[in-house]
Amino acid sequence: MLTEEENEVLCRVGPGTPMGKVLRRYWTPAFQAADLPEPDCPPIRVTVLGENFVAFRDSTGQLGFLDELCCHRGASLVLGRVEEGGIRCLYHGWKYAVDGTILETPNLATSTFRERVRHGAYPVREAGGLGWVYLGPPGTEPPFPAFSWTDAAADELVVSEMIMDCNWMQVQEGSIDSSHVAILHLDTLATMGAGPRNVGSFEFAGEPWDLDMPVPARGQGGGRGGGDGRPGGWPSDDNAPRIEVENTPFGFHYAAIRDVTGEPGKRFVRVTAFAMPYTAFIGGVASGAVIVVPRDDYTCSSIGVFKVPKGAGGIAASRRAGGVAPEVWGPEPENRRVRLPRQDRAAMAAGKSFAGFRGGNRIQDAAVQMSEGTLYDRAKEHLVPADLAIIRMRRLFADSIRLVEAGDAPLGLGEGCDFARIGAASQIIDAGESWQDLVPANQGIREPVRRA
Amino acid sequence: MLWLSIVVDNACTKIWDAWGSGVQVTSLRVSPAVYDAVAAARPGEVARGYPLMLLGLPLIADPGVATYEPVVV
Repeated sequence: MLTEEENEVLCRVGPGTPMGKVLRRYWTPAFQAADLPEPDCPPIRVTVLGENFVAFRDSTGQLGFLDELCCHRGASLVLGRVEEGGIRCLYHGWKYAVDGTILETPNLATSTFRERVRHGAYPVREAGGLGWVYLGPPGTEPPFPAFSWTDAAADELVVSEMIMDCNWMQVQEGSIDSSHVAILHLDTLATMGAGPRNVGSFEFAGEPWDLDMPVPARGQGGGRGGGDGRPGGWPSDDNAPRIEVENTPFGFHYAAIRDVTGEPGKRFVRVTAFAMPYTAFIGGVASGAVIVVPRDDYTCSSIGVFKVPKGAGGIAASRRAGGVAPEVWGPEPENRRVRLPRQDRAAMAAGKSFAGFRGGNRIQDAAVQMSEGTLYDRAKEHLVPADLAIIRMRRLFADSIRLVEAGDAPLGLGEGCDFARIGAASQIIDAGESWQDLVPANQGIREPVRRA
Repeated sequence: MLWLSIVVDNACTKIWDAWGSGVQVTSLRVSPAVYDAVAAARPGEVARGYPLMLLGLPLIADPGVATYEPVVV
């Protein structure tokens, strides 16, 4: 739980707020690069960390990321013309380069002003299908988080963005919360053979219900099977895993450790990596990450980035809805805001669905996370020890706020870290083995674990 | 400002450490400032006469406990 004051401090992200100052010290994935497909294409408005910007691609293909409003009279540059190496305001024709240089001021003949003043412009990089910006103080840019998928070609990446009407912390906490996965997402996991088939006394009745969702044949989707004839590949009946968290230079690793049914001396381990402040690599989900970015205090983007084999469609596949009804969500820029879907109570009553939401895990996540309200009051919550990952994430943010207010850098900037090695894991190991060995980027700050 | 994030993280880590050592825990001793902050945040539970609990454990105010060093018992 948090006090009301602390909840406000941790959740609000606008300029000048404690958390806003912290988040501005990291590279922030702010928009989809595919939304600016070619030189001189129409610009886009980007809302991130409670501020509005204009992003555009100039005549040479270079990205620009500027304050949205023209510094002359405040008209939106999103309405502007992108032409001949810059973006021109419609109102009085002032023109800006990608670095904020004022190129032309048609209603001011002398050059003194434009030589001395620059429009607000921010470092921007294109990587992993996303446009990343740095909104912190000049000269404080941390190492760029070059994750394993950030240098993938466009035809090897699927990027999907859902805009959700709730504070970003609700979604971020969900992305690292493994204890909800086998419950809220029971339909998905049970159908894929990747998880248990019951929640308490509720027994999943069977065949794929969410028919629009791509579902592999029974037993082909999950981890290693237990070998006892159970229908899924989930190797454990242990519903109360042991939780271990270890801080790293980029954030932390979080391991859920379960006994393996029928195999004493074996452990089923799922490791999630959290890279401050936006990115989670989730155990059991290969070659990808979930990124949660605040647009403002009441809206966020949940972005899935997944590396796929060449020829699987890549960015083109990103433009498909993947089984989600278009009235709920779509990949098109104007349809990325999630609307809560209708809950199918008949399917729930018949045991065909636990949660009753079609469209897969992310729609189920969106439904419960948005149901908490636009900014959840954590004074009312009752955390349990199984929530350790959420607890640790808040701790890192709280410590970072205190560091930044003291004039230091926040935690998890990844100095000296090989971001490309960060990843998740899901595997059966011997009881004497260390789960830290499953994640190559493990650079924990705890004392080394004794090895068998 | 009181950071319950730090109190809760330290308490949760100690609970898992205790469980890892095979020790069961029954309550959480916290400083009076922490106890008061939890009570103030949950007026409904106090009014209904429920015990204040954190991380599934009953809270006990203990002037001998430092603010950010809760003790699991």
